[in-house]
Amino acid sequence: MTASTTRGKYNVSPQSKEPGDPDEGFLFLIDQGKVHFPAQYVALWERVCNKLESAGYGSLIPLSYVRHSPKLTKYISPEAAINLAACVSLAAIKVNRAAAELLPKASVIVAHELRSTAAFNSWMETIEELVQAAPESVLPVLERTQKIISTLTPEQFKSWVLAGLRSTGDDTLRQIQYFSFADPESEKWFRHEAGDVVFTDLDRRLKLYLISLWNLRPPMRDLPASTSPLSLRRISITNGVVRVPEVFPGFHGQQAENIFRAGLAHVGAHLVYSTKKFPLGELKPIQMALVSLLEDARVEYLAMQAFPGLRDLWLPFHVAKASGPKLVPHLLARLARSLIDENFRDRDGWVQKGKDMFFDSANDITDPAMCRRIGVLLGNDLGQLRAQFNAKTYVVEPPYRDDNMGLWDFGDQQGEEEDENGIFIEAMRMDQQEEQDESSQDQDKQEEDENSEQQYHARESTDNEERESEVAVRYPEYDYLTGSERPNWTCVIEYFADYGDPYKIDRILETHSELVNQITNLIQTAKVSLPERLHRQSVGESLDIDACINAVISRRMGQTPDPRIYSTTERKHRDLSVLVLLDVSNSTNDIVPHANASVLELEIQATSLLAYAMSELNDPFGIAAFCSDGKEDVHYYRIKNFGEPYDSSARAYLAGLQGKLSTRMGTAMRHAISELAAQHTHRRLLLVITDGEPSDVDVEDRKYLVEDARKVVRSASRLGIDTFCVGLEAGGENYLNGIFGKKNVAMIDKLNRLPERLPMLYLRLTA
Amino acid sequence: MNLDHYLITDEPYYSPTQNEVALFEAAWVSRMPMMLKGPTGCGKTRFVEYMAWKLKKPLITISCHEDMTASDLVGRYLLDADGTVWHDGPLTLAVRYGAICYLDEIVEARQDTSVVIHSLTDDRRILSLEKKNEVVKAHKDFQIVISYNPGYQSVLKDLKESTKQRFGAIDFNYPKPELEAEIIAHESGVDKKIAAKLVQISERSRNLKGHGLDEGASTRMLIYAAQLISQGVSMEEACEVALVLPITDDHDVRNALSSAIAACM
Repeated sequence: MTASTTRGKYNVSPQSKEPGDPDEGFLFLIDQGKVHFPAQYVALWERVCNKLESAGYGSLIPLSYVRHSPKLTKYISPEAAINLAACVSLAAIKVNRAAAELLPKASVIVAHELRSTAAFNSWMETIEELVQAAPESVLPVLERTQKIISTLTPEQFKSWVLAGLRSTGDDTLRQIQYFSFADPESEKWFRHEAGDVVFTDLDRRLKLYLISLWNLRPPMRDLPASTSPLSLRRISITNGVVRVPEVFPGFHGQQAENIFRAGLAHVGAHLVYSTKKFPLGELKPIQMALVSLLEDARVEYLAMQAFPGLRDLWLPFHVAKASGPKLVPHLLARLARSLIDENFRDRDGWVQKGKDMFFDSANDITDPAMCRRIGVLLGNDLGQLRAQFNAKTYVVEPPYRDDNMGLWDFGDQQGEEEDENGIFIEAMRMDQQEEQDESSQDQDKQEEDENSEQQYHARESTDNEERESEVAVRYPEYDYLTGSERPNWTCVIEYFADYGDPYKIDRILETHSELVNQITNLIQTAKVSLPERLHRQSVGESLDIDACINAVISRRMGQTPDPRIYSTTERKHRDLSVLVLLDVSNSTNDIVPHANASVLELEIQATSLLAYAMSELNDPFGIAAFCSDGKEDVHYYRIKNFGEPYDSSARAYLAGLQGKLSTRMGTAMRHAISELAAQHTHRRLLLVITDGEPSDVDVEDRKYLVEDARKVVRSASRLGIDTFCVGLEAGGENYLNGIFGKKNVAMIDKLNRLPERLPMLYLRLTA
Repeated sequence: MNLDHYLITDEPYYSPTQNEVALFEAAWVSRMPMMLKGPTGCGKTRFVEYMAWKLKKPLITISCHEDMTASDLVGRYLLDADGTVWHDGPLTLAVRYGAICYLDEIVEARQDTSVVIHSLTDDRRILSLEKKNEVVKAHKDFQIVISYNPGYQSVLKDLKESTKQRFGAIDFNYPKPELEAEIIAHESGVDKKIAAKLVQISERSRNLKGHGLDEGASTRMLIYAAQLISQGVSMEEACEVALVLPITDDHDVRNALSSAIAACM
């Protein structure tokens, strides 16, 4: 991806030189800089400068240091200025000269912004970490110092850097993309750290909101912030799919939630009241924009009749003033406001005319045709006023309103209606339209648009290829270094399990027939819930004769009788559901000595015996398997669902399991737990069978996934779900105790005994 | 024994939503066991009270619960000064002396408990008290009515097929908006406009059934909200107290519901 990296006006580039630069010699600069230092530091600083000069980094690095570091004495402290030299030196060695040269200047920017020793040191630490972990990415980060530091605190910066390192693994190219904001993830996490509300945070509650208001359930997708062409900064409805920008820049906290909500309420109004598409016909772009605007006002008007409270939601976003230059976008915003805000007075003749025509009592407000009629007339009026309208730069205002592309029937694009990316065709179509009208073109902008468009297509198509399965769910992941969960960090994809030979499972039962008998006997006692007689109860169905006699004796003796004279029977019910989660990572292909079978083979054997026990016991149970290939692709295979019989297809899936990829245990457990949580039994048990520590290809830090899994176990217990792990590992550091707690792990060292141990373990566990 | 104190003397307010009154009267003629289905708080219990009043028969209501045993229905031996003495349970009372016996939320009772009504719900119309060695023939006025809410309970809690097939059923639902508003206005004393607004609000919550809520706001909840409003509580607060907070602890659902309610104001 060679995406457009937006360079803000404050961005520092290594090439930039200050005026007069060539004339300033090193010694001259030292003389100038000295005056900024308190007397006791001068000698030290000079020594540090000379050291850099003689280190062989070339002349530019020492010059940059000598020029910029004195400024730190003012903003932070003389120590900070002197300590900077070590970091510059480190950058020069580990990264490259450009980064080392830029570092002093970037530090000054940061110091100027932060003016706190602790915060500055924290920023420096993060830079040092980055130098160690991803040297190639240091320069892109330093170049964007202004953008970063004006938005993020040093802690947030650290967290964003960590997110970058975590998400890119040790792939240098991806790291550079992330840290130069070419990767959409980067912007997303940047926004997240900055505390911006992103759509995925509110996704669920906003969907529920639409259901609640209109019982509408349109499919929704988020538009990654940095890949969207200009036109897509607004919500967009195409073929019933609602695309929502990931963030509305500039809106924070409650305000951000409100604009998403306002936007979706507006979408809801369209879906309910914009029943017919407008034929494009011969309309000019300005007329299109006007018809759309009027249609927006019309559906909102109708929606507010049903739900008057929506006015309070929408109105705050209408901020157009009834004054100022009469530019078309401004006039449109004024018209939009005057149509929703009855207290808004606009003396402009054109706005007034639009308002009068819209509220003309002869209109049938339920018929979209009125918008087309009025829009065309108003458009002509603007044409006569010779007001310029640039469709390319026009964005619908206020920002909660959608781009209205979905309102239009573009005629010849009928065949592509099903295409999800129809929006682009439509957007391009609009571009073509306006090219006929407008001759002015913004070359750069167009290139940028096309660029990001291609990116967007590229993303979609790879998505389609990889995700052959039906379900993809995102989960957070816990980072022990920040002590918090990153929302929507990982993605579980449910793949269809391979079909194996169902008779293989039957054969397993046959070979273990003795064990099966043993299990059957054990089950008999576990299953038959014999009624248990409870004596001496204060309430009960029948009298407990012994207790009665004692009570009568007590009474005759003049004592207070024990009132607990009843007996009752109670049946003990098994009320438990179990989800067995199998680790099928690549390591399970290892052959177990003495057993002549792979770990996976033994897992399958053990699970088939266990499944036999569970189905005989009538315990509701599910079986799933997992492995992972990086955070975006955690494979989840459903072998048997709750509520489905344990039939030959479940057995075939079980027999067909194959060991591959890695073990991102925490994420798979989150998915399993979400399923188990829906079970209405007294006890819910997640039984994880794994052969080793969590690991994944994109994770270097061994502790990271262990801590995440531990977090998952803890949150499961808060939900009342028990987790138990059967570890198939002999020797080595035992991570599983750390994750599940010592009591909840059974280590099986003689793996060839797993098939008999597992069902027994289960029976004991659930007795 | 006299069941007069089980008679309902004052007419309960009940506004028919369809022809359930006629249906029930027709079933009463042959004392057909009846099952009232429908979501919670839609007026099932009120309907039985109304019918008992209309037919001038005593009504014995039993609220079923998980720990209820057959003895709780049928009766048991208790101790008194001289020894044991039999006490009829509420069901036996109704069978012996002739009353409408209403088992509320029967699925809550364990399945083995609900089986005791089987002999009463076919043409035998008898109740055998094994402990007492007695067979009680049902009084001519005895009728059994159960309520059954198929919606919220899990698969684990369902009536046995053999139990289900012994009943005629009337399906209840929330009344139509105008009627529901009328009922709310009558029960709480608020004016029609507020009542209509509450009904509109309830629609928001009923839309969420199956999407985070097990059941939408019932008529009963709306009446509670209206009663708060009639005491001077603001509409927003009353809705929060009576319609949002009781039914969900899910933050997102709560947020969505509150916002949707705000849109109605």
